[in-house]
Amino acid sequence: MTEPRTAGAPTPAGGSDRDATGPPRSVITGAAGWLGQNLVRRLAGDGRSVRCLVHDADEAPLLELVGRDAEVVVGDTRDPAAVDRLFDGVGPATVFHAAAVIHPRNGTREFFDVNVGGTQLVLDRARRSRARRFVHVSSNSPFGANPTPDDRFTEDSPYNPYLGYGQSKHEAEQIVWRAGERGDLSTVIIRAPWFYGPYQPPRQTQFFAAVRKGRFPLLGDGSNRRSMVYTTNLVDGLLLAEAADVAPGRAYWIADAEPYAMRDVITTVREALAAEGLAVSSRQLRIPAAAGVVAERIDRVLQDRGRYVQALHVLGELKDTIACDIGRARAELGYEPSVALLEGMRSSIRWCLDRGEAI
Amino acid sequence: MRPSTIDTDILVVGSGAGGAVTASTLAAAGRTVTVVEEGPWVDPDALDPFSIEEMVAKYRYRGASAALGAPVVAYAEGRCVGGSTEINSGLWHRAPGDLIDEWRNTYQIDEFTPDTIARYSERIEDDLGVSRLPGAPPPSSAMLERGATKLDWRAVEFARVFRYEASGRGTKQTMARTLLPRAVHDGAEVIPDCQVLKLLHHHDRVVGARCRRHLDTGQDEVLTINAEHVFVCGGAIQTPALLQRSGFRANIGNGLKLHPTIKIAARFPHPLDHGDVPMHRITEFSPHLSIGGSQSRRGHVALALAESGTEHTEAMEDWENVSIYYAAIRSDAGGRVMAVPGLRAPIVTYRLTEGDLSRLARGLVHLGEALLAAGATELYPSVTGAPVVRRPEELAQWWAAVTRTNANLMTVHMTSTVRIGEDRDRTGADSFGRVWGTANLRVNDAALVPDAPGVNPQASIMAIAARNCDHFLAGA
Repeated sequence: MTEPRTAGAPTPAGGSDRDATGPPRSVITGAAGWLGQNLVRRLAGDGRSVRCLVHDADEAPLLELVGRDAEVVVGDTRDPAAVDRLFDGVGPATVFHAAAVIHPRNGTREFFDVNVGGTQLVLDRARRSRARRFVHVSSNSPFGANPTPDDRFTEDSPYNPYLGYGQSKHEAEQIVWRAGERGDLSTVIIRAPWFYGPYQPPRQTQFFAAVRKGRFPLLGDGSNRRSMVYTTNLVDGLLLAEAADVAPGRAYWIADAEPYAMRDVITTVREALAAEGLAVSSRQLRIPAAAGVVAERIDRVLQDRGRYVQALHVLGELKDTIACDIGRARAELGYEPSVALLEGMRSSIRWCLDRGEAI
Repeated sequence: MRPSTIDTDILVVGSGAGGAVTASTLAAAGRTVTVVEEGPWVDPDALDPFSIEEMVAKYRYRGASAALGAPVVAYAEGRCVGGSTEINSGLWHRAPGDLIDEWRNTYQIDEFTPDTIARYSERIEDDLGVSRLPGAPPPSSAMLERGATKLDWRAVEFARVFRYEASGRGTKQTMARTLLPRAVHDGAEVIPDCQVLKLLHHHDRVVGARCRRHLDTGQDEVLTINAEHVFVCGGAIQTPALLQRSGFRANIGNGLKLHPTIKIAARFPHPLDHGDVPMHRITEFSPHLSIGGSQSRRGHVALALAESGTEHTEAMEDWENVSIYYAAIRSDAGGRVMAVPGLRAPIVTYRLTEGDLSRLARGLVHLGEALLAAGATELYPSVTGAPVVRRPEELAQWWAAVTRTNANLMTVHMTSTVRIGEDRDRTGADSFGRVWGTANLRVNDAALVPDAPGVNPQASIMAIAARNCDHFLAGA
């Protein structure tokens, strides 16, 4: 992220005075992000009016294209004046708070400034604008790795934050819980694991390219499990959390139906690449699981000193089982993931190819 | 001239919130009590409250001590009869019940429940007098309330350890005005200007202390005090330093906790009061951070403006319109107190985490929002080189301005250097403050409070100390 920047008033759009009986307005932070773009398009497609916060002025046109009911505000969640503009005149809306930093460019301090400080400011303005519900996008990182290969996180699993990102998302959850408990507003926490799907950032394209060339490392035998979530499934979960009467004050894991063994993830991506007509190398880079342990140790030491190296962090996490159980979301929200790995990966790859991105 | 040896039953080292409770409770029970205090006995009415003169007379090193680290955290300790109760704001806040539960579970502390602590708190409140200001708050405090109301944030007017006359004039119920005279009435002896150099012990029994006493003649004498029981109540910095100098080191001095605090000197278009300290606190962001006001005499305003490291001549000329406010955080970090042979002052270190620094920046931004909403026209943060803010649109610049090198931080709340509990790997003393491995050496002050409470710790310190005294009397 860069310096907070200021920008003008929301771009004018036709849909600012919606019929009071229509579906609620929505406010989305992180709207130009991976999840945000999927969510905005779904909401706009459903005829909903959306007020979007994007960080950089050059991201605004992406969302203005979505439709006449999308208003864009440029600004940073850390900037009280920008968050004031985001909520200016918005009325009782659903707030989807998806803005966060996962791979900081300027050291680990940014995790806390954006993920905690930004959440506090957005929560505060949501409360003051009498938001009807605040849907907070959280993560698996406040919970670390599963203690055993067969374990799955439930909503009752204890917090065990993993490094700076995990600590910041944990503190963010705490302030969201507190706002809900104090009766400030109706809050729901959605915990999502590793995403895949369209509108992906360049790092995901690099992931596809590495798998295709056989250079994405498989640690050990690759039997460790990872829950993943296709963006369409995650958007389904967010919309159910917005609507369900039982959801306020609750947290839900939203993921694909089952966790995948890491080696199956790689195999499926290779299969998806081949099915989309791309030649896939027959090689596969394998490295000992101990390399992940070493990477995690170095990552930990660096993060203690405020430094963040993305490659080390990713390698350190590849060895772990990070799996969750979506039972509560199924039972209480009626959530049912409609897309699984092969289909989801194929459509992500197609999205890249359609945009002319080299994999 | 006083003999250079004294025999006593109970020796209490230090006369602040912990020491005064200990001395008055044990003297009232008929025990022979001797209190030694390193600092002077200053007439509580002799100096203007919250003044620079008071700071010079009653603070250790005239208020200038520092915990090393990046950034350095300046800290202040009382060094006078009555300790920090003579110089603090007198805000009274019971230890939150959920923290009491958390501490009991973390350190396995016996007979440590919210009910127990609340019962002792109540007893002390009745005893000292804890009350809210009659009538309207002074302008400096009203600004916090006004800012919070404008932003729809929670704010509370805290009760203080004050008694108010019918005229509305209030007097802080410091230890020198309350529990210490009572202890003396019940037969205790209080010896000011007397520093304990070392505790003397035979195996696991402490037998007394060797002290250096400054006499009225200007000379020093070595005083030996023989005692059956010793209670060390020198505060979270001096207590572990004395224990370490005396050979007690296991889990003593590590785990220092404090509330790092960042400030803003706020200029308003109208004059504010300068003789008191704001009693309002913005609690919207508790327990992670709390917002309040500081003493703001002319000298304090000059110091705070200087800490902004920017041009402030005009603001200083207008100092009667300037008041100082702060944001204090609960910190993830920990520190250490180390007594070093040959050095009089212990070395104190404290290293803030990245999360702490972020929380301080967040506190500064929220404090700025509140002060602008209250009508402040210029905000000078205690961050070297940070921009002076006049409009909400400028506040976001402070996120980047608060760095390890530029933030000027302070604290007045130090705790947790001799934690209590039955988990011997993590505590320096048992559930009632008896130092592990000793038969009759106890700690009874802020060092015992297991973690920084996020609020003024005086009530927690006094309640825990009173509880420990009852336990001691029941068992002795």
